[in-house]
Amino acid sequence: MKSLRRDVSSNPQAANVTSKVFVRSTKSGKVQKIVRELYLRQDIPCSSKLCSLCPSIAPADANGNIAPFVLSDRPAGTKAFPRGHYLVPDTNALLNGMDLFEHTGAFYDVIILQTVLEELRNQSLPLYNRLLSLIKTDEKRFYLFFNEFRMETHVRRGPEESINDRNDRAVRTVASWYEEHLRASTKKSKKEKSIPAMVVITDDKDSIRKAKAENVTALSLADYVAGLEDSEKLLDMISEAKEARDTKGSARGELFYPEYYSMSKLMTGLRAGNLHQGVFNVSPYNYLEGSIKVPAFDKPLLILGRDNSNRAIAGDVVVIELLPKDQWKSPSTKIVEEETVTKNDNPDTDETEPMVTDRERKALQEEVKQAHGKNSEGKPQPTAKVVGVIKRNWRQYVGHVDSNSTASHSGRRQQTVFVLPMEKRVPKIRVRTRQAGDLIGQRILVTIDSWDRDSRYPTGHYVRSLGELETKGAETEALLLEYDVQYKPFPKSVLDCLPAEGHDWKVPASKEDKGWNGRRDLRDLLICSIDPPGCQDIDDALHARPLPNGNFEVGVHIADVSHFVKPNNAMDLEASVRGTTVYLVDKRIDMLPHLLGTDLCSLKPYVERYAFSVLWEVTPNAEIVSSNFTKSVIRSREAFSYEQAQLRIDDPSQTDELTESMRNLLRFSKILRQKRYDAGALNLASPEVRIEAGDEAGDPLTDVKTKAMLETNSLVEEFMLLANITVATKVYGSFSQTALLRRHATPPPQNFEDLINQLSKKRGMELDVSSSGALASSLDRCVDPENPFFNTLVRILATRCMTSAEYFCAGAHAESEFRHYGLASPIYTHFTSPIRRYADLLVHRQLASAIGYEGEDGHAVIEGVSTRGKLEDICRNINFRHRNAQFAGRASIEYYVGQALKARGEKMAAGGIDTGIDEEGYVMRVFENGVVVFVPRFGIEGVVRLEDFVLPGESGVYSVSERRELAVHRTTDFDSEEYTLRVSEKNHSEKERSVQVELFQRVKVNVSSVKEEGRGAGKRRVRVLITG
Amino acid sequence: MSNQRQASSASQVPHLSPAELSYLYTSLSLPKTPIRPDGRSPTQFRPLTAETNILPGTNGSARIGFADGTQAIVGVKAEVEKTILSNETLARNDGGVGGEQEGSAAVGGHGSWVQMSIEIPGFRDDDALPVFLSEMMRESLVGAVGTDETSDMTGGLKGRLVINKRWHWRLYIDVLLLSQPLAYPLPLLSLTTHLALLSTKLPKLKSQGEEDPFFDDDWAVAEYLYPRPSLSSGAKSSARSSFVRPPVTLLVISVGENIIFDPNREEIAVADAVLAISITRDSEAGNLKLLSIRTVDPPSRLTQPGVPNSENVSMLGAVAPTEDVAVLNPATGEEEVPGVWRPRRGGVKRSVIAEMVKTALKKGGVGEEVLEGLEGVEVS
Repeated sequence: MKSLRRDVSSNPQAANVTSKVFVRSTKSGKVQKIVRELYLRQDIPCSSKLCSLCPSIAPADANGNIAPFVLSDRPAGTKAFPRGHYLVPDTNALLNGMDLFEHTGAFYDVIILQTVLEELRNQSLPLYNRLLSLIKTDEKRFYLFFNEFRMETHVRRGPEESINDRNDRAVRTVASWYEEHLRASTKKSKKEKSIPAMVVITDDKDSIRKAKAENVTALSLADYVAGLEDSEKLLDMISEAKEARDTKGSARGELFYPEYYSMSKLMTGLRAGNLHQGVFNVSPYNYLEGSIKVPAFDKPLLILGRDNSNRAIAGDVVVIELLPKDQWKSPSTKIVEEETVTKNDNPDTDETEPMVTDRERKALQEEVKQAHGKNSEGKPQPTAKVVGVIKRNWRQYVGHVDSNSTASHSGRRQQTVFVLPMEKRVPKIRVRTRQAGDLIGQRILVTIDSWDRDSRYPTGHYVRSLGELETKGAETEALLLEYDVQYKPFPKSVLDCLPAEGHDWKVPASKEDKGWNGRRDLRDLLICSIDPPGCQDIDDALHARPLPNGNFEVGVHIADVSHFVKPNNAMDLEASVRGTTVYLVDKRIDMLPHLLGTDLCSLKPYVERYAFSVLWEVTPNAEIVSSNFTKSVIRSREAFSYEQAQLRIDDPSQTDELTESMRNLLRFSKILRQKRYDAGALNLASPEVRIEAGDEAGDPLTDVKTKAMLETNSLVEEFMLLANITVATKVYGSFSQTALLRRHATPPPQNFEDLINQLSKKRGMELDVSSSGALASSLDRCVDPENPFFNTLVRILATRCMTSAEYFCAGAHAESEFRHYGLASPIYTHFTSPIRRYADLLVHRQLASAIGYEGEDGHAVIEGVSTRGKLEDICRNINFRHRNAQFAGRASIEYYVGQALKARGEKMAAGGIDTGIDEEGYVMRVFENGVVVFVPRFGIEGVVRLEDFVLPGESGVYSVSERRELAVHRTTDFDSEEYTLRVSEKNHSEKERSVQVELFQRVKVNVSSVKEEGRGAGKRRVRVLITG
Repeated sequence: MSNQRQASSASQVPHLSPAELSYLYTSLSLPKTPIRPDGRSPTQFRPLTAETNILPGTNGSARIGFADGTQAIVGVKAEVEKTILSNETLARNDGGVGGEQEGSAAVGGHGSWVQMSIEIPGFRDDDALPVFLSEMMRESLVGAVGTDETSDMTGGLKGRLVINKRWHWRLYIDVLLLSQPLAYPLPLLSLTTHLALLSTKLPKLKSQGEEDPFFDDDWAVAEYLYPRPSLSSGAKSSARSSFVRPPVTLLVISVGENIIFDPNREEIAVADAVLAISITRDSEAGNLKLLSIRTVDPPSRLTQPGVPNSENVSMLGAVAPTEDVAVLNPATGEEEVPGVWRPRRGGVKRSVIAEMVKTALKKGGVGEEVLEGLEGVEVS
C-alpha cells in the first residue's frame, strides 16, 4: 500500500496564512478547540522616527493620515548605550517592574509587543490595564508593535517548544528585526551613525543566554536598572515576587501555610456546594479574625487565626471550606492588634519561628475559652478556612516603615524591613530596600507582590514616597490613595470640552438662539438658594408662589449640568470614572472641572443660568396636585446660608415676597416631613461633625463643630427628597429597564440581633425591626431621660446594622425591591446634585429624554445611557466611588481632629503639661480587654485599652509609655452577657480600686492626641482615657 | 434510483454482460494465480493519497483518495459530557457497597459515546447504506477492548473516553464521501476513519481524580486519543500503550478458491462472497486481532445468467455436447458450465473463509501492511 501526502509547501498562498490554535473551556463546561487564522502582512510600521521606509508603507486611514510615529529619533542613552536605545521588555519584565516602566525618570522609548501584551493580560488584568494606559500616553513613547501580524516577526512555534520559549523567541526576533530594519532604512543617510541599540529586558536566564548566541542585547531588569541614574531607588521598585521564589525555592522546605486547592478542585467543590466563595473581610478590632459572607448562609462565616485565613488579605475573593463542628468558635471579644502581638518579629529571620507564634496562639486560646458555655450571644459560630483564592484584590497600600524592623547603621546595604500599612486589616508587608534609612519617617506607597507558603508575611516592593509623616501634603495624598480617589488634575482632553467662552459664558440674550430651544423662561420667578456657608457649587435653588386658584406653585431648580457635559466625550468619561466630588476638610476633589462646578453650572445669585426645573402645584395643605418638568432659564435672587435664611424667616420685619416665599416653603416642608415620618421614614443619625476652617490664631478645636440642624436645613432636604422621588417616578415610567434609581434594601432582621439583645439586657428596651415604620417608632421610644445623647447613640448603632443604599438600574431588580428603606419611599433616585454626583447627571439625561427635550441641535441626548449593561457598570463604579468618598471624608475629619488636638496640646504644653480635654463619652462596645467609646463632641470613636483606664487614686497624667507599662499589671473581669468590664490592678481587686464600665454608659473621658507608634503612625491616635 | 437502493447490498452493479462477467470470473478464479483486471496481485491495494489534519477546527481529521477518484474525508470532534449514572448504579452506591463497584459505564465507558454519521452523495441519511455502514464501523470501534490492564487504553476506545466517574468525552465522527460510490465504499471510509482517529487529540487534562474536568489551554500539549510512540521515544508510558490502534475494516472477496483484497467494482460484481473483516491491533506482541466478520450480500446474485450452449435453442446442434459438460466449482460446490455465467447463489466454504481471515491476520499479512501503511502517514 502506498500513500502520498499532498505537498502544501508549494502553495504560494500558504506562506502568509498561519493559524493560532488553543483550547477554550467555557463557563458551561464546554471544551473547544479554537483555531484563528492569521493573515500576515508587511505594512505594520516600526514607528521609529528614524525610519525612512515605514512612513511610505504604513497603512493610512480614510483621510489618508497615518498614525504618528512614536519612538524618538534621539532616544535617551545610558553609559552602556551611549547612542541611545529602545527597550523591548518581555512579559516577566513587565510583571516584575511595572512601577519602573511607569516611572517618569527613565524607561522611555519602549516597544511593547503584542505577544507580550496578550501574555500580560492572561497573567494580570490590573497590570494589563496599567500598560494600556501607558501606551496611550504620549510622553512615555510606548509603542505597541503588532509583531504577530508582521510577516518578518511572526514566529511559528516549533515542535516540543513551550509557549514561553516561543514567546521569548518572538521578543528576540523582534529585537533583531528592528536592528536590521533600522540599519537598512537609515543606510546612507546621515542618521546611519546614530542607530539606537535594541535592548531586550528579560528576567529569564535562559533567554539571556540564547540572546547572546543570537547576537541580541539582552539584560535582566535589575542589571539594566543598575546602569541608570538613581538606581537605588529604582531597584527598590522591582517586584519581589520572582526573586522571593528564586532564592527560597525548594531548598528551604519549611512551609507556614497549607497549600491552596487546585483550581479544578475548587470549581468542583463550588459547583457541588461543598466549598463557598466570598469576599474576605477582616475585623477592624482583631486582625486575626476574618469573616466571609457567602450566599449559602444568612450570617457571615468566621475565619479565625492566620493558618485558617491562609494568606488571604482583606478584599480578596476567596474560596472557603467549613471546619468541623468541634472547631466552631464564637467571635472574638477581644481587641487584638497586630503590632502589639508581633512587635518583635524580625523581617529577615522568620524562618525559625513557627507560623503561628505562641503569643498569637495564646491570644486565640483565650478567645476559645470564652466561647464555651455562652448564651445566644456567645454561642459558637460556624468557622471556615480559606482553601483557595479566586481573585486577589491587592492594590497599592500607603504605610510607613516599621522602625523596629530596620537594622541600625546598615548604610546602603539592601535590607528587609516591614512596612505597616495604614489600613489596619492588611498585614505588615515585607519589603526589601536599599534606602531603609531614608524611608524611616516617610509615608510611602508599597504594593504586595506575592505571598508564598514559606513566608509569614506578604512580600512587596516600594513604589514611591509621599513625603514626611504628618505633613499635610503627604497625609492628604495618602488618604486619597487609600480610598482610590482620582485626584490628578483634569487632563487637557477634558478641559477641551469646556465652553470656549470660559467664565464669560452667558445665557444667550436672544430667545431665538438655539440655547433657548425647549427652555422655559423662569427668570421672573423669585428663586433663591440655601446652602452651607461658603458653598461655591450651588446645585439647587427653590421658589414658591401663590397661584390664582389658591394653590401654590413650588419649584426646585437644579443646575443644568447635562447641557454642558455631553454624553461620551472626554469630560463625561472622566466624570463617570470619578463618580462623585470628594470633600475633605481642607480640599475638594471635583468631579467636574472648576469652571463648570463653581461658575457656569452653579446657580449663582443675580445671574442667569440654565436649570432643570421640577414644578409642582400644591394645595395649601401640601397635597400635590400635579408635577411638571422643564428645562429652564432662571435668575436666582439670593444665595443664603442656612443661618441667614433662618434669620430672615424668623425676622417678622421682613415681609418682602422672597421671604414670604421661603416661609411658605418652610411650612410645606414641615408638612412633607411629617407625612414622611408617618409613612415610616427613619430619622437616622451619623456621628458627623463639620470643620469650619477658621483663623490660625484661635483655638483650633473651635473649628470642630457638631452639625447643627436648623429648620432651613430640613426645608431644603424635604424638597430635594420630593424632587428626587418625583423624578424617579417619571424616569421609571419612561425607562422601565434602564432608569437609574437608588434603593436601600430592607436589612435582614438578624443584623439587628446583637443590638436588640444589648438594648433589652441593659435598658429593658425593645427594638421592633419588622418594618421601617416600626423601627422608627421604637427608636423614638429609646430615650433615657438621664442621658439625652442615648437616643442618638442608639440611632448610630442602628444605622450600622443596615445595608448601605445603592444605585441600580431598573432592570436589575423587581419593582418590589426598589424600596428605599430609610426614606420609606417606594422609589427613589438622585437628581438634585449633578455638579457633584455622576448619577444625578445621568438621571438628568434620562429625564430630558423622558420629557421629549431635544437639545440645542435637535439630537436626542439619551444616547449612551440606554444600554443596561453599560449602566450597570456605571452603577457599580459610582456605588464604589460614593462609598469611598464618604470614607475619605470621615478619615479626613478624623485626621483633622487629631491635628487640632495636637496643636492645642502643643500650645498647652508650652505653659505646662498636656492634660488633654475632658469630655463626655459613651461606651459603644465592650471587649474583654477594652472598650470602644464614642465622643460626640469630636465625632470620634476611640478604643480604650486596659492601660487607658484611670483607676481611682491614680493620676491621669502618665505618658503613653508609662501607661503602657501599666497594662501588664491590670486584670479584667469581663461579663459578655451583661456587657460589663471591670478593670482593676492585679492583686488589688477591691471594688474601690477598680473601674467598671458597661455598655451605653456615659463616661468621663480625657481626649488628647498622642503620637502613635506602630500602625497608625502619623495619624496621631486620639487617646481616650476613661477618668470615671 | 432503484439502482441506488440496491446498492445497500454492495454497490451499483456495473453493466456487464454475462459473457464479460464469466470472463472476469474465470480470470479471477484461476487457481493460485488470479489475474485481476488492473493487474494487481490478490493482496495488493490500489494506490491512495492520504493526509491528516485537513480540518483545523476538528480534534482530528483525514482525507484519503483512491486512484479511481473516490475520496472521503473524516472529521472527529470531541465534547465533554456528564456521565449519567443509571438508577441501578445509584441504588447500589446508596447501598454502601462502595466506590469499587461504581457504575460499569462510568468505568468501562459506553458504546453510545461514539457517534458516527456517514454522508454519501445521493443518499439520504436514513437510507440503508449509510446507516448500515456507520453501524458496521462503529460496532468494531467500540467493540475493540484492550487486553492490557495497565495502559490508558484499558477498555479500548470506550475506556479511553472516560475522564472520571462523572465525566466522559463524547466522540462525533463525521464521515463524508466526496465522490459517487463507485465501489463499495466501506474500505475507503474505514481507512479514512482510522487515519482520522489516529490524528485525533484530546485537550490535556489538568484536574485530577473526581474533580470536574479542567484542561490545559495549550493545544500543542493535547494528547492523542490513541497514544503514539513519542518522537523522542523517551517516554515509556506512551510507548507501552502506543500499539493500540483503531480498527480497520477490510473488504475481501472470494472468487473460486482465490482470495482477493481491496476489490474494485468489477471484481465485486463477480464475487462468490464479499466479507467485511474488521481487525485491530491491541496487544503488545503486535498480533492482530479479528474483531468482526460480516458478509455483504454479493451483487453477483442479481446479475443475469448466461445461457449454456446446450440449452440455447439457436445453438442447438452446433457444438458437440461433450464440450458443455458441467464441472463442479470447487469453491461453491455447484455445477457450472465453464465460460457460462451463472449468478452466484451465495454460500462459501469454511476453508475459504478461514483462509481469508488467515491472510488478513497473519504476521506480515495484509492487515499488518495496511496498518503500517496508515501509521506511516505523517500525523501532524
